[in-house]
Amino acid sequence: MDDTLERPNVVSKPVDAVDGDDEQSSGDEDQGPDWTKLPSAPTARPFIPKRGEKDFEPNASGGSGLQRHVLDRSRHAMLEALSAPRTISSKSISYAVWHPDLARAHVTLSRGIHFASMGHSVARTASLDSAKKIHKRLELLPEETLYLVERGAMLCWKACELAPSDTPGLEDVEGIPMTVQQAFAEMIGTADLTLEKYQVFAYLKRLGYAVTRTKPPNPEYPIPPPFEQPQRRYQSSFLHKVLSVVLWPLRALQSLFVPRFDWWQPIRTSCLHGAFNIRAVHHGLCRCTVLCVGLGHLFQSLRFLPGGHNAPLHVQARPRAPVSPYQIFYNVYKPSTPFKKTAPPPPEYSVVVVNARTTPMPTLTELTSLFGVLPELPPPLPRKRQSFVQQKAGTAPPPAPAPKTQLPPSRMQRFFPWAFPSTSPPELPRNINPFLSLKTGKKMVVVAAVDAGMTSFFRFGEGVFTEWPMVL
Amino acid sequence: MSSGGRKIPLRVSNNKAYVWDIDDIAALRAEHHICGVLTGTLPHLSQQNVFLGPPLLLIPEEVVLLVDKHLAVLVDDPTAHRTPSADALKAWDAERAATANQQLVLAEAKETSEKAAKLSMSEEALRKRQEREEKRAAAARAKALAEGEDVAAPEASGSGSIAIPTAPVAQRPSTPTPSAQTASAFTVTLPGSSSDLSWYDSQGCTYETVADAQAAGIWTYPADLHERAKCRVFRDLWEKGNFMGGGVRFGGDFLVYPGDPMRYHSHFVATVVSSPLSTIKPMEIVAHGRLGTATKKAHLFCGWDDEKQEVSYFSIEWAGFG
Repeated sequence: MDDTLERPNVVSKPVDAVDGDDEQSSGDEDQGPDWTKLPSAPTARPFIPKRGEKDFEPNASGGSGLQRHVLDRSRHAMLEALSAPRTISSKSISYAVWHPDLARAHVTLSRGIHFASMGHSVARTASLDSAKKIHKRLELLPEETLYLVERGAMLCWKACELAPSDTPGLEDVEGIPMTVQQAFAEMIGTADLTLEKYQVFAYLKRLGYAVTRTKPPNPEYPIPPPFEQPQRRYQSSFLHKVLSVVLWPLRALQSLFVPRFDWWQPIRTSCLHGAFNIRAVHHGLCRCTVLCVGLGHLFQSLRFLPGGHNAPLHVQARPRAPVSPYQIFYNVYKPSTPFKKTAPPPPEYSVVVVNARTTPMPTLTELTSLFGVLPELPPPLPRKRQSFVQQKAGTAPPPAPAPKTQLPPSRMQRFFPWAFPSTSPPELPRNINPFLSLKTGKKMVVVAAVDAGMTSFFRFGEGVFTEWPMVL
Repeated sequence: MSSGGRKIPLRVSNNKAYVWDIDDIAALRAEHHICGVLTGTLPHLSQQNVFLGPPLLLIPEEVVLLVDKHLAVLVDDPTAHRTPSADALKAWDAERAATANQQLVLAEAKETSEKAAKLSMSEEALRKRQEREEKRAAAARAKALAEGEDVAAPEASGSGSIAIPTAPVAQRPSTPTPSAQTASAFTVTLPGSSSDLSWYDSQGCTYETVADAQAAGIWTYPADLHERAKCRVFRDLWEKGNFMGGGVRFGGDFLVYPGDPMRYHSHFVATVVSSPLSTIKPMEIVAHGRLGTATKKAHLFCGWDDEKQEVSYFSIEWAGFG
């Protein structure tokens, strides 16, 4: 198979067309691919045909003659396509040796574009006769090995005790040749790889994404630089808890003597603040804006329970709960991203893989801990109406605004928030659609739920309702 | 396509059952109405997810049904891949080299004949030259074959001192006949299914019943009442002549098709209720009714009664008043 044919953009258009169809006709979601429209032999330009039409049901007594004929033709086409052999030119094939004890494949000959985003180099000691020598070599994770073997780009040997290359007549045999079947049987289940995780990996790789592991399986595995994590405002530390216990009787005493807190007090100040502004700029178009800012403060000061995701959870994870299946497993990069495998950039998507048959919906604590390790995303940009020419020209993505780092509020501010009404006015660009932002959320994680080969991708966003008071 | 009472081997690894041979996939579909899910990359259309290839992954209910009906057996796949002897490896390598050689010789003959056709114009000269070329090609073939074996021996003695299989790559000849055709490439066919390997042997690791496989520790499904209920509902609907598929995309356990899903739409989304005592919330009925109607299907609640060993069905549709 030629490298030119393996580039994802060759087929990306038809795939999109197919997906677009699906979205429009939700009633036909179970439409299968029509195998009769698949070219039987590898052609110069592979293309993906549109999905075929289906009948409602077979006629009585096992379908009419036409129905049976069409079904036979479809089945025949499918089997024809399935029985096509995995062939590759001897000049573009890669070779690797699978080491079951390491759960890694050592690439002895790497060819083709796949190695631009797969494999990492590891220093291994090789005992040459007596002298121990450390040398670096290219190694593949089980999912990477399996994917290359499965798509017919690499022949994988299985390392065995008797080195066949010593036997006369078998110099270019580096081990036991592994079939795709054997690779499936023996590589899945090693190095945390489950079939579900492999299916998600292969699905995304087939679409051209670069996929790496989030948690490095060995120290040499390159990972992106860590996110700059903004401090959570209410860290309920041990000290904090102790303090609150000690101060509780004092507070109770205080509440006995001091009259109950006048909730209208802060509003009066901020209302006055706003009213003053309104009077000052009574003329002109700015009036509306000032009013909004004033009302925003009003709502903020009305809130006497802490809201939003910065407040700590009241629900605690059960102390002896088993390890959550909701762990980020893959970092995913779009095909268009310049990807350097020795220094990967921060991931564009973080993907969790779960088995849909055994895993329940994520709990609040699971989601919170997932979002706890994810960076805040910039607010979504309003959709611009662009002409086709502009779209074609390929607009460079606008620079993402740096995440605002808020200073943690001082103790005075924390206890008497009403006294500091205008420390951080929500200065958001005017033209952002709040609904788009509410829908997108601030943080995003993708959950791939796999049920026996069928993968559904779900997007979970952390809502930002506290930051968008509906007073506009 | 006729399996003729032959039991289809299901290759089990990591608690999943695969079918690798195309004939078996065909027989399952045409004779047993079992579809499975194709889950592998199609080698010649490898950058898309619409058409996928072998292995065929069976959902657990399909596996239990096939084994219970004595239509298939479970094979412990990692165990069935034995370690080949040196002779078996040699035979495998010789076959590989022979295929490569054959291709190279054919390619060379074609190239030389094309060249010859260009050079000579007269028909007779062409014919004579072709004869000569054919002779030469035959000689080359014999020579290449002889060399392929001869060249191997001295190299073996040379590289014998290196004990590890991770010898420098450059040393390994890229083609089995490095003498003349270093420039010409040939096609390598990578093996998919293991059935043709001489060292693949499922004797001693084949299980006829689910209980045997469970005892051997290679298969766990069904492990509890709900999984048992799913198996029995699946079996009951299948016995009624339906084709079954996974229903995860429609919020159910199964999709029920009146014919091969390749040609017909499904009529029902089925949800398994594992006991007559379990409660169904009204919200579920609303959600299923809404989704079923929107996707032109009826929702089917399949209640399993473990005491009576029978299934009762209830379908939900929007009544459509107003």
